[in-house]
Amino acid sequence: MLNYIWGGLIVLSLVFALISDGNDFLQDTYRNGKPLPVTVYFEDDFDPDDHRHEVDVQITTSDLTSHYGDSLITGNTWSGALLFTSAGRELRFAEDRPLMEPLKTICDQTGQSDCRGTLQGTPTTEQWQTTITFRPVRWVKMNAIAGAAIDFAETAVTLALGLIGGLGLWMGLLKIAEASGMLQALVRLTQPLIRPLFPKVPHNHPALGLIVLNLSANFLGMGNAATPLGIKAMQELQTLNESEDTATDPMVMLLAMNTASVQIMPPVTLVAIMGLQINQLFFSIVITTALSLIVAITAVKLLSRLKRYREVAS
Amino acid sequence: MSIVQLFLDYASALVLPAILVGFPLYGMIRKVRVYEVFVEGAKDGFHVAVMIIPYVIAILFAIGMFRASGAMDFLTDLLRPVVGMIGIPAEVIPMGIVRPLTGSGSVGIILDMINQFGEDSIFVKMAATMFGSTETTFYVIAVYFGAINIRKTRHAVPAGLIADIFAMFAAVYVVLFLFG
Repeated sequence: MLNYIWGGLIVLSLVFALISDGNDFLQDTYRNGKPLPVTVYFEDDFDPDDHRHEVDVQITTSDLTSHYGDSLITGNTWSGALLFTSAGRELRFAEDRPLMEPLKTICDQTGQSDCRGTLQGTPTTEQWQTTITFRPVRWVKMNAIAGAAIDFAETAVTLALGLIGGLGLWMGLLKIAEASGMLQALVRLTQPLIRPLFPKVPHNHPALGLIVLNLSANFLGMGNAATPLGIKAMQELQTLNESEDTATDPMVMLLAMNTASVQIMPPVTLVAIMGLQINQLFFSIVITTALSLIVAITAVKLLSRLKRYREVAS
Repeated sequence: MSIVQLFLDYASALVLPAILVGFPLYGMIRKVRVYEVFVEGAKDGFHVAVMIIPYVIAILFAIGMFRASGAMDFLTDLLRPVVGMIGIPAEVIPMGIVRPLTGSGSVGIILDMINQFGEDSIFVKMAATMFGSTETTFYVIAVYFGAINIRKTRHAVPAGLIADIFAMFAAVYVVLFLFG
């Protein structure tokens, strides 16, 4: 199933990007190559031979609305610089420009920190009415999905490597717990409770203790501890696995209990976002998470009976 | 409720120090060479982190592309009339779609919703409940199964998604029941 979902995500993103870009093309969303009326006000004394002028640029609401055919855009005055180059007169908006769509996309897509456009004609007075043409914008979403793929691949590595510290710490502590007999004691203590969910794990197996630790960490909202503990539990379950690359029933159960998230304490991130409001949500989160945990466990049990998901007979 | 919360607050604050000290201390009492054993175990941390990289790259890059393509808006529009019939407000649909895919994305959605509707709004409560009661399913699958090189995930994905979808509905109804 993951194969289909994964492939589906990639193919669908291409389809949606194509639809969006095709729509931009047909609607000419960015009015490529079409001049937009602007008024340029010179801040310093006007001298037509100067190479650079500090200017204010005014684009009116009515011009923007009729140009882009969108009644929601409002005009404004922005600061910028006017450059007189061999190629003509170029306007550069200041970097902190608060431009709105679709100008924002036009600026982002042309890839310069100072948004640029070419001005037509020659300034004659300190208040110069002219038109501006931006560089053509095409394939916005195509560029976006390609960029996102690379960004997220890098994020993935950062995330994975960021786990090293926590993983190392917990793997070390757990090794001590194993060597001191603590884990085994935990297994003996908790297996009557936990084994009904993991019937295929043998009696007194250390995996049971790790599962308990993982679920407890989740329960208390200790996400940073839960991941290493869960991974360690998976490693123990893998020692019982006869195949190398296929998940076993206990693995799927543990995973489902983790994705359903058994927490009673709200996750730290949510507490940070919601502040005091989180107290009100305590009950709604506990009730929802308990219900979804029950559904997850039931789903795992029922789905494992389906022919396509049945464990290869051992 | 406040006593329960207070207890949990203490528990979650004290559990970690108790483990950090308790495990080695108990080891010492049982005559374990704690330092040597710790280092032996900690070695595995690096190995595991490197093992999961290909899995996490695979999942995250596909999700990143999907988000960047604008498919989310399209899906929201598509689902609006369907889920509207069973009482799910359209405002919380993006959260339902994004939550199993990315954690940072869903945080962004809650922040947007707080800006748009205010912290007190029932939509924010629903979205926050969804956030608090589910996990980023695909990332968890990549990390947990990646660490042991499991590629054939069997019913893990459907089971996770069924629980996620259920949790989305449950969050809406529970919040409506408690606050509506």
